[in-house]
Amino acid sequence: MAVSPLPGTMPSAGANGSLKPRPLTMLTSNPAGSNSLVANTQSSNINTDISEQLNEEERRRYVKGKKLGEGTYAIVYHGHHRDNPSKLVAIKKIKVNAEFRDGLSFDAIREVKYLQELSHPNIIALHSVFSSKNQNLNLVLEYLPLGDLEGVIRDTKSVHYGLADIKAWMNMLARAVWFCHESFVLHRDIKPNNLLIAADGEVKLADFGLSRSFSDPYLNMTYNVITRWYRPPELFFKARHYSGVVDVWSMGCVFAELILRTPYLPGGSDMDQVTLICKALGTPTEQIWPGVEMLDGYKAYAAISSEAVNPPPPKQQLQGLFGTIGGQGIDLLLSMLALDPNKRATSKQVLQHEWWLTNPRPSKKEALPKKGGGLEKVGEDLKRRGGEIGDGDGRGEQVARKLNFG
Amino acid sequence: MSRLSLKNGAPKEISDEDQCPVCKSSRYLNRNMRFLVNPECYHKMCESCVDRLFSSGPRVCPVAGCNRTLRRQRFRPQTFEDIQIEREVDVRKRVAKVFNRREDEFDSLLDYNNYLNEVEDLTFNLIHKIDVDATEKKLKAYEEANKAAIRENEVLASQETQSLQAQEAAEKEHARLRREAALREAEEERRERAEGRLDVINQLARGEGNADEIARQGRRTLLKKSTARRVGTGDEMDTSDSAGTGLQFKGLRRRARPEPEKPFEPFGEVTVEHEYFVLKGHYAWDFLDTARTSQTYRAGGYDISEYCSRALTDAFAGLAVFVGEEQTAT
Repeated sequence: MAVSPLPGTMPSAGANGSLKPRPLTMLTSNPAGSNSLVANTQSSNINTDISEQLNEEERRRYVKGKKLGEGTYAIVYHGHHRDNPSKLVAIKKIKVNAEFRDGLSFDAIREVKYLQELSHPNIIALHSVFSSKNQNLNLVLEYLPLGDLEGVIRDTKSVHYGLADIKAWMNMLARAVWFCHESFVLHRDIKPNNLLIAADGEVKLADFGLSRSFSDPYLNMTYNVITRWYRPPELFFKARHYSGVVDVWSMGCVFAELILRTPYLPGGSDMDQVTLICKALGTPTEQIWPGVEMLDGYKAYAAISSEAVNPPPPKQQLQGLFGTIGGQGIDLLLSMLALDPNKRATSKQVLQHEWWLTNPRPSKKEALPKKGGGLEKVGEDLKRRGGEIGDGDGRGEQVARKLNFG
Repeated sequence: MSRLSLKNGAPKEISDEDQCPVCKSSRYLNRNMRFLVNPECYHKMCESCVDRLFSSGPRVCPVAGCNRTLRRQRFRPQTFEDIQIEREVDVRKRVAKVFNRREDEFDSLLDYNNYLNEVEDLTFNLIHKIDVDATEKKLKAYEEANKAAIRENEVLASQETQSLQAQEAAEKEHARLRREAALREAEEERRERAEGRLDVINQLARGEGNADEIARQGRRTLLKKSTARRVGTGDEMDTSDSAGTGLQFKGLRRRARPEPEKPFEPFGEVTVEHEYFVLKGHYAWDFLDTARTSQTYRAGGYDISEYCSRALTDAFAGLAVFVGEEQTAT
């Protein structure tokens, strides 16, 4: 048993049991994609000619259309299959970033590495990868034209939805997260604007720029991931060893946001965020979260050291906020937002909860309320970099993102 | 009264129609008098009596000898003049709501007719107050026993009326469009004729060529245009007519019932199985002990079983995967 979850090892994590890593076949049948990838960072090897030829072949299979959007990290184009113009795709061209002069950005590598392993109806599909001139990396992604869940949540004027719709969306998200975790992938950036909507209404988890596989016991993971409003308390306390339940906390925040139609815990800074969490869900203490005081970051928070300890919120208060989802729904929400990660539900337990089976039955995906996204929105959605909140009305301008690959 | 009758011509008798049997006020005193009945006993009384008597809760009917307790909520205006008919309609409505079986649910027409006969017997008994208790009991029992079927048929019926309404609306819209098109066409034709005439006059005014020839030519072009138009629209009409008769059937009944929905599957019928190993709760291995006992690992939520599961999956991932097969498969 090798202790080697380093990013360079064989990506076999997804190949268990009945899981068939579909995109892997496409990529193995075309070694050019991976070879040219390597060629970007290392000196070229002997098969350069063959690999270039194969890459060219792959590139010719798609027609790049007009530009949909441009971000700091990538440019997104509209595109389609050359032999079948009705098969639409989105092509994400990774910019050769100033930060990574002699290689590719980590986000791109992570996105390719994990997306190619995951094949699930609720996870964005990576059809192909090829490099174009100037050795730019191009990801051919599924075309998801109807915007993202954030657009739906925030358009309170023209979009109306009910409990059955919330249940359907949450279920699709929970399936996606569960599937990631079953394939040993932590997404680490779940938020409404990473949940894209396909033409048929299906919600798909996208943006794997911050994901990684589950860690071996003695390797540190960075705590500086997940957009702040959706980040669980253990990451603020600088835990270096955590598990899949970090994604479950984000799911809980998305759940609450779907109900409230406004972000549940919109902290202005890390300090502010912890204060908000303490106010909303109680202050984490040694009693309700054994061992929390041992975490590095715990003492740093004034909210915990100086202010009075907030007790866990009374049932009535939550009933007032989230009453529409019913008692079992609140039970599920609380299990997702448990402070102690050991008490938080795992993604599997979330799906096993009986709330899914209660009335009303989740809406059919065709019947879900939609919001016309249009082409520009596709660009908006895909060009973002992990950890960023979509621009627009300055909602997250001060949310800076710094990745520490320690 | 006398003056009023003089003014209005023939004097009008104060009939039963115009007087409330409870408060004896007449239409002469209250022009806007409305009569209401309660399906409990069908004694009619005026609106103000209902307000006066029943606004503070249920009460006994004010008509002498009628000992039924009435509630204000159930008072409603009378539809039929004859109170007997009013009552019969109510009873029939109530029975039909419970006995809403359809013909296609029966094996043969005879069965259906027998069923209708049975229902009619029950209705008749209720209307004519024969064995009311026994009949009511039967009705209740049937309703209890067939709740689901009744509901289903209700839904079907409402769907049918809805689709019928939709169809009617579509037909109306179609007719409107046709009318508009016809109007537009007539307008066009009128305009063209005027233009043609103007053209002929202009030519004549200029005095070029033979007058008779010009007039004849003008008439011919007009005729040509109008026949061309008639042919074009005729074709159009044909296609729209055939679409109308060939695809839509009025009152078509859908026989096939939709399959009952499967219970919701939270996992979406995706399963992930570990073919080659069973994950145990505990592995005796020194390597894991530090992580297992460490407080910081625990507080951060680190889960050793996740690691074990991944490590075991990695170890067995290559089994039963043959590169040759994979390549031919693609």
